[in-house]
Amino acid sequence: MRFWSLFSRNIKETYRDAMALGFLLAFPLVFMLLFGVALGGDGKVSYSIGVVDNNQSDVSQSYISDALGAADVLSVKVYSNTDNAMEDLRLGNISSYIVIPDGFGEQVATIWQKMPGNIELNITYDESNLSASSNVISIINSITRSFAGIEIPITINTNPINIETKITQIDFIAPGIIIFGLLIMIPTAGRIMMHDKDTRFLHRMMTTPTRPWEFIVSYSLSMATIAVIQVVIFLLLGWWFGMDIVGSVWLAFAIFVLTGLCSIGIGMVVASLAKSENQGEALSWLFSMPLAIISGLWFPIEYMPSYVRTFADLFPYSHATEAARAVIIRGVGMEAISTDFLVLIIWTGGIFIIGTFLFRRKMKS
Amino acid sequence: MITNNPLSVRKPDDSFAIQTFDLTRIFGKLVAVDGINLDIKKGELFAFLGPNGAGKTTTISMLCCLLKPSSGTALVMGNDINKDPYKVKAAIGISPQDTTLSDHLNPIENLELFGSMHQLPPKIVKQRAKELVETMGLSDRAKDQVKKFSGGMKRRLNIAMALISDPQLVILDEPTLGLDPQSRRAVWKYIARLKKEKTILLTTHYLEEADFLADRIGIIDEGKIVAFGTPVELKTSMIDTHTIIIKAWNLTQKTIMEMKEKYEDVQITDGTMTITDKRVNFQEIVDHLHNAGTIIRSAYIKEPTLDDVFIKITGKELRE
Ligand SMILES: Nc1ncnc2c1ncn2[C@@H]1O[C@H](COP(=O)(O)OP(=O)(O)OP(=O)(O)O)[C@@H](O)[C@H]1O
Ligand SMILES: [Mg+2]
Repeated sequence: MRFWSLFSRNIKETYRDAMALGFLLAFPLVFMLLFGVALGGDGKVSYSIGVVDNNQSDVSQSYISDALGAADVLSVKVYSNTDNAMEDLRLGNISSYIVIPDGFGEQVATIWQKMPGNIELNITYDESNLSASSNVISIINSITRSFAGIEIPITINTNPINIETKITQIDFIAPGIIIFGLLIMIPTAGRIMMHDKDTRFLHRMMTTPTRPWEFIVSYSLSMATIAVIQVVIFLLLGWWFGMDIVGSVWLAFAIFVLTGLCSIGIGMVVASLAKSENQGEALSWLFSMPLAIISGLWFPIEYMPSYVRTFADLFPYSHATEAARAVIIRGVGMEAISTDFLVLIIWTGGIFIIGTFLFRRKMKS
Repeated sequence: MITNNPLSVRKPDDSFAIQTFDLTRIFGKLVAVDGINLDIKKGELFAFLGPNGAGKTTTISMLCCLLKPSSGTALVMGNDINKDPYKVKAAIGISPQDTTLSDHLNPIENLELFGSMHQLPPKIVKQRAKELVETMGLSDRAKDQVKKFSGGMKRRLNIAMALISDPQLVILDEPTLGLDPQSRRAVWKYIARLKKEKTILLTTHYLEEADFLADRIGIIDEGKIVAFGTPVELKTSMIDTHTIIIKAWNLTQKTIMEMKEKYEDVQITDGTMTITDKRVNFQEIVDHLHNAGTIIRSAYIKEPTLDDVFIKITGKELRE
């Protein structure tokens, strides 16, 4: 009874607090909307691609100029070797490059003579720019087919190979935003505890026979409930924006909830270490925003210096993002993400133990 | 360890709601509460008076088990604050000096929260919360979030929170702080009504509040109890002089000289003569002035107030 009252009081305090509610719901919603609107519409896009012609035949020349070059959606740049193409891909000047293999001309000629055959192309693309690459690949696929005049699919060797599913940009970006929404629970999670401590309301509550563990459990359980509500809302929002979860919804849900719990634990630690609510909030924002960036929530982290990535991997959010994307986009099961999942579980457990210990100590002071 | 007072020889006694035994709290070098020995009887209203920083709130924090004593102990409703904090907490209701409420809850929800933290049946809590909201004149705002309340409204709810558990001992740290005169009087009336049923420990800066409400008063200064007794006892034992105040026209220099010869302390300001002495005879003075041709506009004997007692003992004005 006592515990339940505290629990529901914490929920009320959070959801009736415009600021807290804003950070919990409005902020991630705005992000989701922005990304959704920005990436949802397939307007007039043009993709820059590179071509390395190792065949140097009439057929390959004509393929480049008449087929690829004629497509509005592509702007084609020819490279003499793959090193130059790779350099531009790294710099982001092109989204992918095609390597036309030596036998290309003969393969096409065979097909033109109505003989059974196969066309092979190698495409290297920037995995982080997934929607662009998947679009480009399907564009190249259809251009090549019409050039060769064949109905059978051509073999496109991609690097990395993972283009079977119909991945949209929102699929790639949504897990990151959801994780971001859960990451910024760090400032909100500690908020109510710090506020109670600052205003001495916690002291007042401690003049009742309520035990310290009841405070701690009710604070964390109410925040955990809020985390679960958040995850449900985010998943619904993602679904509304067209995110398909290829893998298990429950597994994605579990990953997100664990991530939320980590944030609550961190929030509790911050709340226990901070001297005041203001200091605590400033501290958690200072900590959350860079963490969001280096954990690859919005931007690809492939090109970050390795020590930054190693540092980011110490925290749960890069693992959560990896695992969530793997489940949502690639549809993998538990076995493929077990390491990331384990990291999340250990983090959740560990941070709660530390948070409880520190907060208990703080309550006594 | 600083112990100015000799170790108390008092024994625990059932008839007391609070007994402190050399209760001491030290903050760094500052001795905030300095070996207090206090007995507060069950059913009485005890007022704690003292200038700012005297140690009232610190004492209360120790009695509520929020603060560990540096040394010494206290029995609250028969329970040792060091050994049985939860039993102590169960027996008391406190209205702290700082108004602290759950901002986004309404008054009823605030009261019910504390009721349930005292593990009272929800039905009783609901009923009592409604009554308290009414008593404190907050019925029409019962559904509003507390953060929208005025300071005085919060203050009244702050007091109500101390009573939701129907505790045997009520501790009110400056309950009427920040209330307008009307609300203050209403709260006084309510406290006076409670007096019959509960033990009340209250601190205040309003001496007339203590005078009006308290059965007994303890004056604390620099962490020590410097005076103790009923309001009347304090006034009569501490103030052995009497004061007569006379407003008069055409007071001559000669008359004033005569009075100054006769009485210990004679002050003149704007035609008002204040005469203070251990022995003053009202009739004698009035007659004397009359005969000297002074026209007296008013003359009265000033009763000693707690203010006088307070200033005499602590050398400080209570209110800045
Ligand atoms: N947590 C603390 N740390 C250090 N010093 C403290 C602490 N709490 C109180 N004090 C000091 O102890 C002394 C007594 O403070 P206390 O709050 O008990 O006074 P008070 O009698 O309630 O005064 P007031 O009438 O202003 O409320 C003050 O000098 C105060 O500065
Ligand atoms: Mg005080």
